[in-house]
Amino acid sequence: MWKLCKLLALFILATVGHWSVATLFSYWGLNVNFMLVFAIAFCTAARLEIGYPMAFVCGLFLDFFGTKLFGNNAFSFTAAACIVYALRERIDFSGFLPQMVTVFMLTCMVGVINSLLLIHFTSSSLWPGTGSLVGGALIGAFLAPIVFAIVHWIWAGLSAEEHL
Amino acid sequence: MVSSRKKTVKKQVYTGNRRRILFPVAFLLLSFLLMILPLEGFVSSVKTVLSYVFIPQVRLAHGTVKYAEGVHQTVQELLNAHHENRLLKQQIEMEHLLASQAQTVFQENQRLAAALELRPELPWQGVWAKVAYREPSQWNSVIIDKGSADGITERCAVLSLEQGKEGLAGVVVEVTENTAKVLLVRDEDFSAAVMLEKGQEEGLLVGGGAHAVRIKYLPLGAEIAKGDKVFTSATSSIFPAGILVGSVRAVRDDGSFQTAQTVEVDPLIRSAAVKEVFVLFKPEEPAKEATYVETL
Repeated sequence: MWKLCKLLALFILATVGHWSVATLFSYWGLNVNFMLVFAIAFCTAARLEIGYPMAFVCGLFLDFFGTKLFGNNAFSFTAAACIVYALRERIDFSGFLPQMVTVFMLTCMVGVINSLLLIHFTSSSLWPGTGSLVGGALIGAFLAPIVFAIVHWIWAGLSAEEHL
Repeated sequence: MVSSRKKTVKKQVYTGNRRRILFPVAFLLLSFLLMILPLEGFVSSVKTVLSYVFIPQVRLAHGTVKYAEGVHQTVQELLNAHHENRLLKQQIEMEHLLASQAQTVFQENQRLAAALELRPELPWQGVWAKVAYREPSQWNSVIIDKGSADGITERCAVLSLEQGKEGLAGVVVEVTENTAKVLLVRDEDFSAAVMLEKGQEEGLLVGGGAHAVRIKYLPLGAEIAKGDKVFTSATSSIFPAGILVGSVRAVRDDGSFQTAQTVEVDPLIRSAAVKEVFVLFKPEEPAKEATYVETL
């Protein structure tokens, strides 16, 4: 139960981070997906039994604020988690470069998937703009080493207490 | 033994592979289901349930961001504090110097007044009070929360602050033990002897109620311009000299055959803005039984 509370606290911390970063960079018109950075970092640290639900919930959190379609972020985040788990067997995520490249590529991918899903289901697109998406992905990539370090550090503490 | 170990390993690999496929498929299907369902009904219920979980988080996040913004401002203020502190210290030193000069001038004034056998001008003493009640139908009079117990008597001058300047607000017309009624400058029954800053011409200021406040009986040759400041006159039996009343708004042209000029005045203290007042004690009767006495 205590571990679950810590996991919840980690999620809350991520939402606070997302809100702060999104607010901060929105002044420059950049669409920074901090929740995705967190979900990717979490999936590189945790086992898939916990990683997939976390990625799904993170997506659902963003869907909660949407008005047109519900579940698109949950879908794209789960897809991103699939790719992270596939890559985890081949790539060592302890280096900065793999972290940054993965975050950059997956942020772009999630942006594209979301827009395609919106076009398909609602016949409307919420394309943030290439500049905003790529710029946001770049910011996310630069934030990735910090987020990865924090998540891995907290997760290592949690795993030491119990093998989750 | 070896074959049973192999079987266990095989079973673990199988379970692992199954999980590797089952988890993403299950969550992708679930999110797909959420997408294809209409936003009303089930999805709306899911959103309502989620709101109980996410809204406190969002509030927390929003509060944290707001707090962080505040921290930035506080840090900025702290960084400026040293500079401001230095400036204020200089200002305080300058104020000390001015106060010392004023004291010297005041003493000189007293000496000269004594030599010329003039009545010396006493420093203003009084008490601060708050507006406790305001009659809805009579906006030009207010009731304050101090009365005779605090040393207030009838015909005490009342001052108030507007835009950081003190000005004449009115006069006390009724006093009870703990309250007093103040007639404000704009009231029709209000009058005070006043003088103009420029030419030192004196006249009688009268309230106008719904109309403009006026100064009557100003000499015909007086050069009066819009914006000239109006102060209470030394000839007033109620008000100490030198209290700012307002400024000239317009000079009335009442045609020929006039023996005096009349000007309209904008009072500094607006009736609706009176909230705290400073009631001046009469110089002749300093309040002996007042609970406390302040100086303005």
